[in-house]
Amino acid sequence: MKPAPFDYYAPETLPEAIALMARLENEGCDAKILAGGQSLMPMLAMRVARPDALIDLRRLTALNHIAEHDGIIAIGAMATKRAAEESTLIRERQPLFHAATQLVGHRQIRNRGSVGGSFAHADPASEYPAVALVLDMEMQAVGEGGERLIPASEFFVTYMTTALEPGEILTEVRMPMLPAGTGWAIQEISRRNGDLALAGVALTLRFSGGLCADARIAAFGVDATAVRLTAAEDALAGQKPDAATFARVAAIAAASLAEPMSCIHASADYRRHLIGVLVERTLAEAAGRAR
Amino acid sequence: MAIEIPTLPEQLPTSAPRFVGKEVNRIEDPALVSGTVEFIDNLSLPGMLHCAILRSPHPHARVIKVDTRAAAALEGVEAVLTGEDVGRWCAPAFTAPEGWGSYCMAVDKVRFVGEPVAAVAATSRYLAEDALELIQVEYELLTPVANPDEAMAPGAPLLFEERGTNVIQSREYTWGEIDRVFADADRVVSRKFRWNRVGANPTETFGCICQWDLADNSLTCRGAYQTPRFMGLGRAASLKLPANKVRIITHAQGGGFGGKGGPRGTDIAALLSRKADGRPVKYIEDRMEYLLAGGGQSWDRYYDAALALQADGTVTGFKVRLVDDQGAGAEGYGTISAAKPLAAFTGNYRIEAASYDLTLVATNRAPTYPYRGYGPPPHNLVLESLMDIAARELAVDPAELRRRNYIRPEQFPYTVPSGNEYDSGNYAAVLDRVLEMADYRALREAQAKARAEGRLVGIGVVSTVEPGVFDWNAYATVGVPGVGVPEGVKVAVDVLGNVTVAVGFNLQGQGQFTVAAQVVADYLGVDMNAVKVATASTDVAMPHFGQGGSRLGVAVTGAILGACEKLKQTFCLLVAHLMHTGPEQVELMNGRLQLKGAPEHGMSIAEVAGVMLARSDLLPPGMEPCPEATFVWTAPNRNLPDDQGRCRSYLTAANATHIAQIEIDRHTGQVKILGYFIVDDCGTRLNPASVEGQLQGGVAQGVGAALFEEYVYDPQAQPLVTTFVDYLIPTIHEVPMTTKDHLVTPSPFAPLGAKGCGEGAIHTTPATLMCAINDALSPLGLEILETPASPHRLWKLLHGHGAA
Amino acid sequence: MTTMQKIHVTVNGKSHAREVEARLTLADFLRHELHLGGTHVGCEHGVCGVCTVLINGQSARSCLTLAVQADGANVTTVEGLRNRETGQLHPIQQAFVDAHGLQCGFCTPGFVMTTLELLGENPDPSDDEIKDALGGNLCRCTGYQSILESVRLAASRLQTTQSA
Repeated sequence: MKPAPFDYYAPETLPEAIALMARLENEGCDAKILAGGQSLMPMLAMRVARPDALIDLRRLTALNHIAEHDGIIAIGAMATKRAAEESTLIRERQPLFHAATQLVGHRQIRNRGSVGGSFAHADPASEYPAVALVLDMEMQAVGEGGERLIPASEFFVTYMTTALEPGEILTEVRMPMLPAGTGWAIQEISRRNGDLALAGVALTLRFSGGLCADARIAAFGVDATAVRLTAAEDALAGQKPDAATFARVAAIAAASLAEPMSCIHASADYRRHLIGVLVERTLAEAAGRAR
Repeated sequence: MAIEIPTLPEQLPTSAPRFVGKEVNRIEDPALVSGTVEFIDNLSLPGMLHCAILRSPHPHARVIKVDTRAAAALEGVEAVLTGEDVGRWCAPAFTAPEGWGSYCMAVDKVRFVGEPVAAVAATSRYLAEDALELIQVEYELLTPVANPDEAMAPGAPLLFEERGTNVIQSREYTWGEIDRVFADADRVVSRKFRWNRVGANPTETFGCICQWDLADNSLTCRGAYQTPRFMGLGRAASLKLPANKVRIITHAQGGGFGGKGGPRGTDIAALLSRKADGRPVKYIEDRMEYLLAGGGQSWDRYYDAALALQADGTVTGFKVRLVDDQGAGAEGYGTISAAKPLAAFTGNYRIEAASYDLTLVATNRAPTYPYRGYGPPPHNLVLESLMDIAARELAVDPAELRRRNYIRPEQFPYTVPSGNEYDSGNYAAVLDRVLEMADYRALREAQAKARAEGRLVGIGVVSTVEPGVFDWNAYATVGVPGVGVPEGVKVAVDVLGNVTVAVGFNLQGQGQFTVAAQVVADYLGVDMNAVKVATASTDVAMPHFGQGGSRLGVAVTGAILGACEKLKQTFCLLVAHLMHTGPEQVELMNGRLQLKGAPEHGMSIAEVAGVMLARSDLLPPGMEPCPEATFVWTAPNRNLPDDQGRCRSYLTAANATHIAQIEIDRHTGQVKILGYFIVDDCGTRLNPASVEGQLQGGVAQGVGAALFEEYVYDPQAQPLVTTFVDYLIPTIHEVPMTTKDHLVTPSPFAPLGAKGCGEGAIHTTPATLMCAINDALSPLGLEILETPASPHRLWKLLHGHGAA
Repeated sequence: MTTMQKIHVTVNGKSHAREVEARLTLADFLRHELHLGGTHVGCEHGVCGVCTVLINGQSARSCLTLAVQADGANVTTVEGLRNRETGQLHPIQQAFVDAHGLQCGFCTPGFVMTTLELLGENPDPSDDEIKDALGGNLCRCTGYQSILESVRLAASRLQTTQSA
């Protein structure tokens, strides 16, 4: 299990990296970005990924930031999950993202794995894409044509595929701070602690006049990308936040899924059922936090 | 002079054992925690090449053509091996029944995904893997045989065409009047069970470095070998070399559990060395190779079993029909694991009659290999599940039903219907202790309360016997006709009184080096740190087997005691000579050879050894100047089996009763272990900490088998579990921290009264957890009779989505 | 040639300059280039944790890291823990010996390195915190109970040393 040979580049600056991407693209060279490498390395070792070249972003320390500007939390693509996990800003102002980060793999993975890498890798079983949908996050991409912001709803295209164009590098992810009084929760079912989710749900919930309002619910691990459960969100609007409502909404959520994925650990039916269970549980958990 | 082996620690020549029976630190550990132990991949030899193996992507296909020209031309590639070479130079594996073994590499057809079809040796592993991508193989696809039903269907494609069938073996054993007890039974409970494939998965995969000496036509294999001499014999047979021209140097191993594998990899590396002008060739199996085609798959079983009971709950008969999917041939001794249950077929119980209908079938799954427990864990699941089902039908507490049927203490030694003799035990006392420790009554009350709340809480109480100290006679009926398993050591005292014990095996994790040091230190009255345990290579080692069959701790203890007894006799002769008295007047006590009744007159072990080695003028005429002794131990009083496989096979019978309390999440099917309690009795505990470690490790593997681990194949026999992402080894979160206690009923037959305990809880934990799960399900009228009880299976059962 | 890379890595306090293939993993670099064989390899796809080392003080799977990614970094392996002068084991290593926290010992360097990181950050972890930290390290021998006890023992000894 040794990687096939590849050319290796570790540009010093972002412009250098972008120029390199463009050049390699022009040369017909299949270049891949190496961030933390925690998802890419197994694929290289198994030789299921065989890029001609790797562009390692490790020298782009300018992409390590975690900062707040005008109510928006920005995380540099090369910030590690460990850094995100330990950020007081994130823990206090965007606890859903913090909780999602803690669910990613094990500590050795979080120490090395970058936040941006998980977004760009777009594994449908990972937590971040679902959280991105719930929080309406935006991804900053930079290419030869300049920089652009891609909303989460457009960023995750399908299984391990994003809206990043060839030659574009994901440089930052942005999210709002959680408004006061908003309830949140993220839960997942996995075979073992730390395994990829068979099914997971992330959501935020607000109350208005004691009734549910403005719920944003996303499921992961069930489809080719994380999916918003809009039917469930709609059904929740204006309802009393009680067990009966949550059970009803959970059933709607489960029914609203298109054909879920199937694997040796969980069939489509089972995944659909789990989403219902998780919606019910996360709603209850979030309701406990909402005011 | 006859050598008497002490059967109790009190018989050691010491006023009080300082080490035996104590939780001493292991002598192997300082190096292990420092990372300085030489596991095979840490060794590099001058000029060494690295092997990579190209494996079949097809479960069943004829190999038409293998084109290796481009690979051979790659810079850094020094040798390429194909089935053509192998067909010319090799014989098929001799560990399978005649006609059911494979060559180390496919010579004409592949029979499972992952079977080697070509290999290269290059200057680095990276390059070797590059070279594999340049090899072109042309296959003619054949219809795969995915399971035993398909294999036994009329007109089924044949794996081994010349056999004319896919059935490797089929026979029925009958012990006692099985038909009568079933006819007379007041109640018969029967069920079908499915145990899916699991396997050993030590953290270190197999690895070796082979060097073929072209001048001498001899072979040296260094590697992670669990049974060095046996491995050497196998290589001699498959590589067509005289056995004394194959030298095995075994290294410390990162676990084994029976499933280390190695024969194919060794042969391939050896042949590559032969083709590379005798340069050493290293082969390190990677994890995907191990999962796909290594020694890691075991017990792929379909059971149909029944228990006959009288109205009072007395169990009178136990019938088992087993169809065992051996995979692609029987190269991995898989047949043996189907025969081992004979050693404890009827468990802890007085069951007068039993029968075993055994069918071993070849399919296009990977060949099965040994795994810790070697067969009984699934068998125990069947027996213990039926006990629970019977208890439910009779409305008797499951612990109580077991107690009624236990073999009673005064009945030992007890011969079970399948022929083996249990040495000793007190099963009811073990049960009482664990019931008390777990506060069983409180557990049941808590369960009743939980049930009233609609929660699915279950309790499993399971008793098993662990046959210890395996003997080849146990496997005579599946084609291994030997009696006895020699294990030899040499104990040597140097001129300063330090002691070296030479053994034929190396570290694997169970702590036998420490046990060896404990025993020899107490016998000779030296400190443990004056003892060195060293591994001899097969060309100079005494006859030995090594780890396997819950045997080595007992066997090496017996061998050391025997060697020490011999040393003592020689030392007594010398000291008697020096003191002008008869040897019967001299005794060994606390490290001194002293006059009986006048202990102030004597010599230390060091002084005696010093005289022997440095003062030949003082020796009695004819005495060798050799303070060393060898001894080869094998279990006493073993015999040949009769036509129904009955014999005294395993020397010892440890036993345990486990209690598990679990809860099923009825919404997700997930099982949570709420509490886990163990009381066991394996006789004298030579190092109690090591025994506990073996038990807890067995719990972890049992949790894996019951809840997580499974080699899944698709209907075309394609393996779907090829990474650790899918083969789910339990982590620290999934394994319960258990509450343990023990009883000590020494074996009257085994050295120091110690019983084999290395397999430990894997005999008991899978059945305990499955019984607990079924106990939780019982109010719903549901049962799960397939392992592992994964959340998905339980959910399907709970939600009526077909049989689980 | 861009497939070969010059790197400068400090391992256990000693600086090493080497030219390596870009595809070489850090695990293979440590084991086969620097001959530090205490970092073992168990799965090469980032699940088992056997190859855990510290990179700039943080635990990492050395099979999921390229040697070039460690350019300029400080790496600590199990060989860096013993006292070089006296040969004395690190208190964490000694605790694993004393609490029988290992059997075959193949996974042990990984557990020891993860424990080193944990106790550096959290000198008095709860059982749940220990389990969380060690959840990414597989052991096939011990069933983890004695490992948990080893970490508890190491924590209590280190705290005693520090408060003394």
